[in-house]
Amino acid sequence: MNKILALVFFLITITSFDSKSDQVIARQGQVSFFSYTSVENIEAKNNQVLSILDLSKNEIAISMLMRAFVFEKSLMHEHFNESYIESDIYPKATFEGAIVNFDPLAEKQVRIIKGILSIHGIDKEIEIKTTIENTNESYILEGDFTVEVKDFDIKIPPLLASNIAKTISIKFRFEYQPYEQ
Amino acid sequence: MNNSTCFVLCFFIMMTLSISGHAQNLLDALEKEYPDTPQYEMATFKTTRIALGHSIENRKKGVLEIRTTNRFWNLPNNQDSQSFFVDKVSSRIALEYGVSDRMTIGVGGTTFDGVFDGFLKYKLIRQRSDAKGSPLSVTLFQGGSYRSKRFGNINAFDEFYDKVALTSQVLIAHKFNPKFSVQLAPTFIHRGSTVFEEDPENQFALGIAARHKIGGHASIISEYYHVMNPLESIDTYNAFALGVNWELSDVMLQFYMTNARSTVEDAFITQTTNNFNFKDGNFHFGFNATFILHLKNKKLK
Repeated sequence: MNKILALVFFLITITSFDSKSDQVIARQGQVSFFSYTSVENIEAKNNQVLSILDLSKNEIAISMLMRAFVFEKSLMHEHFNESYIESDIYPKATFEGAIVNFDPLAEKQVRIIKGILSIHGIDKEIEIKTTIENTNESYILEGDFTVEVKDFDIKIPPLLASNIAKTISIKFRFEYQPYEQ
Repeated sequence: MNNSTCFVLCFFIMMTLSISGHAQNLLDALEKEYPDTPQYEMATFKTTRIALGHSIENRKKGVLEIRTTNRFWNLPNNQDSQSFFVDKVSSRIALEYGVSDRMTIGVGGTTFDGVFDGFLKYKLIRQRSDAKGSPLSVTLFQGGSYRSKRFGNINAFDEFYDKVALTSQVLIAHKFNPKFSVQLAPTFIHRGSTVFEEDPENQFALGIAARHKIGGHASIISEYYHVMNPLESIDTYNAFALGVNWELSDVMLQFYMTNARSTVEDAFITQTTNNFNFKDGNFHFGFNATFILHLKNKKLK
C-alpha cells in the first residue's frame, strides 16, 4: 500500500514539475494598431508586449501596458491614455486563449486562436488567424485582425467621429524563447 | 501516527500544491514578468494653464503651441454703448514651444495693456503613479514681463528695467485619482520699480488650483491667488477663476469666469482691481484657445 502511494505521489510531483518546461515566453512582442480615416491616420506601436505560450496545453496568454504604445504625435499618446483607453483605470490589455489544432512540431502552420480579448475593462471573445513558425526551438507567431471600437465601450465625441476609424486593425508578432522561472 | 496515514497526508498536501501550481494561469505568470520601469502620472492638468496661471504641465519635445488668451468685459454705467457683444476685449497672443519633454519656453504680447512677456518652465519632479517615488509633481516657472504702454502718464518710467516685472513660481501638484488634481503655487513677484513709494517692490502670493474631470474630454477648473502683501496705493483683490476645459484633438478651449483682466502673471496676481461678482466692470469672461502643432514626429520603429 505504502509503495503504491509513494509511487503515485512521485508521479504527481514529476508531472507537475514537468509541465512547466513546456512554456515559452516572448518579452518583446510587438503589437501595433492602425486607424485609417480620410481625415487622419493614427498609428501606434508597442514593443514591450509579454506573452506566454504553453506548448503542452496549446494555451496562450498576452499582456501589455497601454501606456507603452508609442505614437507619432505626443498629444495622441496623451489623448489615447487619458480620454479613450483610460489607462489610469485600465492599465493593461490582455488576451487569453487556446490555439486550435496546434502542432508543436510542425515547421510552419496557420491556426486559429480562440480566446478572450480584454481592453478597457471589457472582455470579448474573438478568433484570430495566426501563422506559427517553429525554427530552432523558437516559435514565432504573426498575424493581424481587426476590432470594433464600439465593442470596448470607448467613447468618441461626435465631433471627432470622423478622425477615428470605427474598425481598428491590429498587427502582432511574438518571438518566443524557453521560459525559465 | 503510523506510516500510511503520514503518506496519505503528504499525498494530499502534495496534490493540492501541484493543483494550485497548475491553477496559476498564464496571465498571472505574465504579471510577474513586467519589468520594473517607473510609471509617471500623465495629464495632471489638461493644458499648460489652469485658467489664468500656469499648471505643472509642459508641452512635449517638438510641440509648438499657438495660444490666445482673451478676456471680455463690459464697462459699468455704459448703457448707451454701441459696442457689439462686449465693451472691451484684451487678448494675449503667444507662441510656446517644448524644447525638451521637461522644458517649455514661450513669448507673448497682450493687446489691452501692452505687456510683452516671456517665460521658461522646467518640470523638476514627476509624480509616480505606482506607489514608489515622488507623490508630487514639481515644476519651476520663471517669467518676465515688460510694460510698453503708459497709462495716463502715471507710471512714466524711462529706464528699461523700471518697466520690468519678474515672476518666480514653484508649482506643486498632486493627482489624487484619474479625475481630481490639486496644485499649490507659491509665487514671488519682483517689480523693477513701483509707482508709489508705499507699494512693495517684492510681493508674495500663494496660488491654489484644482481640476475635476467630468468626461473624457472636459474638466471643471478653479483657481485662486492669495496675495500676502498687497499693493498699498490702490485697492486690489485676489484673482479667482472658475471654468471649463474642453479639448478636441489638436485644439483645446478653456472657458471661465474671472475678475482678473490682465493675462500676465505679475499683473493678474497683484494688480486685479475688481472683486469677483457679476456686475459690469467686475465680471470678466475668459476664453483661451490653444492650437497644437507637432513640429517633430516620433519615428515608430
